[in-house]
Amino acid sequence: MVGLNKNIIRALLITSYVVLIGLILSGVSSVIGYLNTGADRSKMLHTEIKKVEQYLPKIVWEPLENEGRTIDAQNLNALQNDYLDAWYVKQIAYKTNKFKGIKDYYTDSSRENLYNFIALNKANDITIEATTLSHNPTLEFYSEDGQLAVITDRNVVEYKRVFKADSLVLETTEKSTYKIIFLLEDGFWRIRHMVKEDNDIFNANHRKIATDNLNIKGINYYPQATPWNTFGDEFSIDTISKDFKIIKDAGLNSIRIFVQYEKFGKAHVKPKMLDKLKQALDVAEKHNLKVVITLFDFYGDYSLMNWTLDHRHAETIVNAFKNHNALLAWDIKNEPNLDFDTRGQDIVIAWLDNMIDLVKSVDDTHPVTIGWSNTQSAAILKDKVDFVSFHYYEDLDNLDKAIKSLKTEIKDKPIVLQEFGISSYRGLWNPFGNTEKDQAEYHKKIQNILATNKMQFMSWTLYDFNDIPTEVVGRLPWRKRAQQHFGFINQNGEPKPAFQYISKK
Amino acid sequence: MKFNHIYKLILCLALLSSFTEMQNSEKDSVITLLTNRTEFEVGNKVVLKFSSSNQNKPILYCSNSYGSTLIKPRYERGKLVYQLPENISTKIGVINWELLNTSKPLTGKLNITPIAKVATMETYIGPPSIESGGSDYSMLVVIPTDSLDNPVPTNTLVNVKNQFLDNEETHEIFTKNFVAFRIIHSPKKTGRMLVSSECLGTNSKEFTVNVSAAIPTNFYISVTRPHNYADGNQITTFSTSVIKDKSGNIVSDGTFVTFIIKNLKGNILKTVGLTIAGVATSKMIHPEYPDSWNVKAYVEGAAESNSISLNYNQVIQDFKVEFFDDNRKISVGPLQSFMQQLIPDGLHVKLNIYKDNAFVSTLTKTSFNGYVHFKLKPAIFEKGTYTFSIETAGLTKNIKNKKLW
Repeated sequence: MVGLNKNIIRALLITSYVVLIGLILSGVSSVIGYLNTGADRSKMLHTEIKKVEQYLPKIVWEPLENEGRTIDAQNLNALQNDYLDAWYVKQIAYKTNKFKGIKDYYTDSSRENLYNFIALNKANDITIEATTLSHNPTLEFYSEDGQLAVITDRNVVEYKRVFKADSLVLETTEKSTYKIIFLLEDGFWRIRHMVKEDNDIFNANHRKIATDNLNIKGINYYPQATPWNTFGDEFSIDTISKDFKIIKDAGLNSIRIFVQYEKFGKAHVKPKMLDKLKQALDVAEKHNLKVVITLFDFYGDYSLMNWTLDHRHAETIVNAFKNHNALLAWDIKNEPNLDFDTRGQDIVIAWLDNMIDLVKSVDDTHPVTIGWSNTQSAAILKDKVDFVSFHYYEDLDNLDKAIKSLKTEIKDKPIVLQEFGISSYRGLWNPFGNTEKDQAEYHKKIQNILATNKMQFMSWTLYDFNDIPTEVVGRLPWRKRAQQHFGFINQNGEPKPAFQYISKK
Repeated sequence: MKFNHIYKLILCLALLSSFTEMQNSEKDSVITLLTNRTEFEVGNKVVLKFSSSNQNKPILYCSNSYGSTLIKPRYERGKLVYQLPENISTKIGVINWELLNTSKPLTGKLNITPIAKVATMETYIGPPSIESGGSDYSMLVVIPTDSLDNPVPTNTLVNVKNQFLDNEETHEIFTKNFVAFRIIHSPKKTGRMLVSSECLGTNSKEFTVNVSAAIPTNFYISVTRPHNYADGNQITTFSTSVIKDKSGNIVSDGTFVTFIIKNLKGNILKTVGLTIAGVATSKMIHPEYPDSWNVKAYVEGAAESNSISLNYNQVIQDFKVEFFDDNRKISVGPLQSFMQQLIPDGLHVKLNIYKDNAFVSTLTKTSFNGYVHFKLKPAIFEKGTYTFSIETAGLTKNIKNKKLW
């Protein structure tokens, strides 16, 4: 007994010693690490550009035919900046019912009008979140001394959410015409008078896009080495080209690829990234594959104040590729319904709704869809999208029923099963998982279901991956492991048994 | 059996409740707008009335030029009454409204029209200083506003009044895009122009536009000098004629005039002056040697003068050179001016020293009491035979092979 006790004490001592040393080491190293971080050299001279672009609605000036002095580009730009900032501070003020920033962009007497509104809304517990999405100003007058300007801003599309005691009571999109007088005071173009001259409920009318000829038999694609990061630094067009050939040879006709919001440069899309995307599309065209481009991957903001930035992002990309032969459709966002809980269902749907309008305003020939993660959400915005997409990772036995009920709900639009698949991971973290044989069985079965229901499909995914980024499924190893084994081709590049069921011959 | 009853009861209830639902929604849709007016003059009470068949009190959303809000109704004799808050009814422009919480939202537009009454004349004039002659102009911009700080209706008459010298004018302009403006061209004369405006009986303050002379036209220059000798002492004064613009206005005081002098050697001397009452003067010291100057004045980028030429005559006819103290002390003088008077102090005398036909050094001194004394130190100038040349006032004297001890 005594010997055992002694051993226990010894073991405790040793382990506590090890733990203690470990703690000290990590403490010291973090102190050293902290001390080694210093001022960024590039910021030493304070040459960084301070202006943050926070509000970028689409703004298109009418040709300049104003009375008074002709305006030069620099002054017009200054006027535009301050005008948009005036909108921005107003939106913030009505959202928070605070005065901050208003006095910079409204003259003494006109700011009273805003203050009155804020006081009224604050007293009644009303908050208003709003953003303008497009402006179409005409410069009417610019004074000879360059201190006064009048503009008429037509077709100001303003999306508004009105809250009473924090509950949403109205969601509306208005189209208005404003006439505005600006005075140049202290270097700011400040609003002196603002008069709404016309107003209507805004309805985006889009051309109907024919989707009868769609025959999607495709696959979700990421390169094996760089999953969830197709267009990163290790972008290799040769790899993509080889993979596309495999896909085409397997009897598929389309792929779905993903554009990461942040890596593509947010509001200012990087030309380098556009170029990579173009190369991928060119290669797809060469292999006679059509491409569904999924926008806003790894995006989860949706906040109203950033909508204009999101719109500039989408606008740039859609504009760049709307005439590309390989383009099949725009997928606005992958599985946005997963953000319903954290961001609020209504704001996510409103964001999608407006984003569809934006994409369609730029490209009115290619269909638009949303990659819902389940059948329950699939009917959301069904009148807005050109075809309905949903993902299915549930029990295959219920799929047939789910498809049939969806088809009764969505009668006039094609439905695409945009993601499905099963992991063939069986190992330490999931000893009772599916085998590669089970996976093959799954794909055989699902292809039959799809064929009997005449469903278009895109499977998940071509490859088993080695590395899954943490952003995708988190850090938990059993999730990562499972996610690594959804492919038709294993980590060594050999086709798995499921490969023969990649498409129904 | 019992189950059957319960089942029937539930069915009945379900049916009934669906009826009540229907009735409710029917009642909702019964709300109709009673107010036919859509135009209200700014500042008046704006009230929207709806007939309602039930006690529901839906809120009204409304939005004007500056913001949006929600309004709660009053219930008055079977009518829903919405009174728009003052900050909405006192601002011109379109108001859009929507009645919420009804199955079919009612929407509509109101127009708050401006009134033709002016409380303040917001006036801007610029640029505040223009040049005479008619090509330059200033612009008067007026924003007439009513007592609620709204712009007045389009096409409201504004009278622009301006006074200049004996001339008083009134012009009619009309508001458009909330502003009325007039371009005021400069008169031919310089002076202060007073501008004011009036709209519907309300007058603005007085504004001043300063009309300054336009750019100068070409002018003449003249010269005065005490004598025409090149004594390096007296001062020549240049002055311009009265510099005027093309309309005959004297240019602004302080106009910068540059006098450029070119001498015989081709060197350029420069002197500047600023105008006072149109005349700029500038001075230059006489040369020390006979010279001929060519003088021309410029107002840079705008105007130039005629060019005049001046001659400066030799002031010293001859001078003596004497050697003392082993020829190491050289005395130059007396230096006598045009009336044989001793030349004023400060005339340059240059001594060039050569040895064995090679240049050694130059010593320069200025005269004092009519003389210049050079001293050649033995430490610097060793014993030997030297040749000297002495230059002053444009004269040169050579003294050859002088032995220094």
